[in-house]
Amino acid sequence: MTTLKIEQVSRIFPARHGNAPTRALEPTDLIIGNNDFVTILGPSGCGKSTLLRIVAGLDRPTSGRVTLDGREVTGPGADRGMVFQSYTLFPWLTVRANIAFGLRERGVSEAERNKIADAFIRQVGLSGFENHWPKQLSGGMQQRTAIARALANDPKILLLDEPFGALDNQTRALMQEMLLGIWERDQKTVLFVTHDIEEAIFLGSRVIVMSARPGRIKAEINVDLPHPRSYKIKTTPEFVQLKERLVEEIRTEALKVAEHA
Amino acid sequence: MRPLDSVTSKQRVAYGLAFFVLFVALWSWATFGGHVSKTFLANPLTMVQEGYDLLAKQGFLYDIGMTIWRVVGGFALAAIIAVPLGVLMGAYKPVEAFLEPFVSFARYLPASAFIPLLILWAGIGELQKLLVIFIGSVFQIILMIAVTVGATRRDLVEAAYTLGASDRGMIRRVLLPSSAPEIAEILRLVLGWAWTYVIVAELIGSSSGIGHMITDSQALLNTGQIIFGIIVIGLIGLLSDFMFKAFNAWLFPWRLA
Repeated sequence: MTTLKIEQVSRIFPARHGNAPTRALEPTDLIIGNNDFVTILGPSGCGKSTLLRIVAGLDRPTSGRVTLDGREVTGPGADRGMVFQSYTLFPWLTVRANIAFGLRERGVSEAERNKIADAFIRQVGLSGFENHWPKQLSGGMQQRTAIARALANDPKILLLDEPFGALDNQTRALMQEMLLGIWERDQKTVLFVTHDIEEAIFLGSRVIVMSARPGRIKAEINVDLPHPRSYKIKTTPEFVQLKERLVEEIRTEALKVAEHA
Repeated sequence: MRPLDSVTSKQRVAYGLAFFVLFVALWSWATFGGHVSKTFLANPLTMVQEGYDLLAKQGFLYDIGMTIWRVVGGFALAAIIAVPLGVLMGAYKPVEAFLEPFVSFARYLPASAFIPLLILWAGIGELQKLLVIFIGSVFQIILMIAVTVGATRRDLVEAAYTLGASDRGMIRRVLLPSSAPEIAEILRLVLGWAWTYVIVAELIGSSSGIGHMITDSQALLNTGQIIFGIIVIGLIGLLSDFMFKAFNAWLFPWRLA
């Protein structure tokens, strides 16, 4: 059982060149339960990535704390797998070796880690590309490899920071279905950051809407759409209704940002 | 011709050769045409004759061998010490803060200015030649590698941390492989500089080597031999550069893929 607790976590970036300190994240509480798929939705500059980086241990909160199964997060670790928006495959490793990176770091034998890596390669549909270099892959394939790399470590929670943000619309839709398919089949605790409303609803069991400047949680919306979900769900009245509601929520926030910019 | 338009590999070779032809043509015009005195500049034919003479009768191959051994020896010594130090400096900021100011200072000390001192310390034997090249190379390599390792993509480092990489694993499996092609390039570059130091080292207090032959020929006003010596240095440099490049391309296929 996995429980991620975010308690009164805030982040203030110190002042620079006489500017006032940036309050990126107001004290925030959030609890993510076992096998939950939570999406965090917000305009850019709302602190959603900051929150995710704090959970990953890549950034330290100014106040508050994050605990995973009761243990406080003090730095990055293999129990919290992360997929970044930028392409972060190791360019000197093949697809298979990239996916096996975490396993190798833990001392898993070569035969064993190749077996695990190949299983994930199949799962993300990259069979035949095991020995390709990242440079030879399209953006979508690189992100699929990155997801497989994070999953191969069998983390307690999977953190995704706008992983499909740089992909074209068609690829992005396919990637969403692939990720949701993996979640529906294998069950995982997932925290997914995005600024795309449709993506947040389609993937999430819960959508957390964040507001900008200062960043804080503005609303929390349960998505009661049945699983397994296919792309067709995006045109159902329930989906459209949720989307309309979120569009309003986000629009006011985006306007606030635009006024301050 | 438009800015940044590419050329075919055939054109590239042709243009490159054309310059050499132009260069020799100008040289021939100046010497055969009598525009420059024979005492100061030998013509290309004399140069080739003198070169053949050097190789066939005066044991110039031994000199070439000596020079290559000095460059490679001094350079290898420098690399063995500088590469680990540079990596440590790049990876650990306290080590960098400790060493960087001194290395930056030492980098500007001209290796050739050390020759008199090195002769006092190490005599005029091989050790002195190796030390000149060592001093000329070691600080450059340390500093350039430290910068390269320190500039490793932060997102790759973060990705490795979230995959559970230890500090040791981070250096061995992220910092080193991501910097390796740059490190190889740095070594190639500095090897080129080492060639200039070796000749200077051989000009003073030496009884063998290409530099020694050049000083000897100067005493005899044999400009043909001097030019031949210089050209041999250029050719060896070009060859080693080419080999280094090919070796790097073979070593790092993921860069070209």
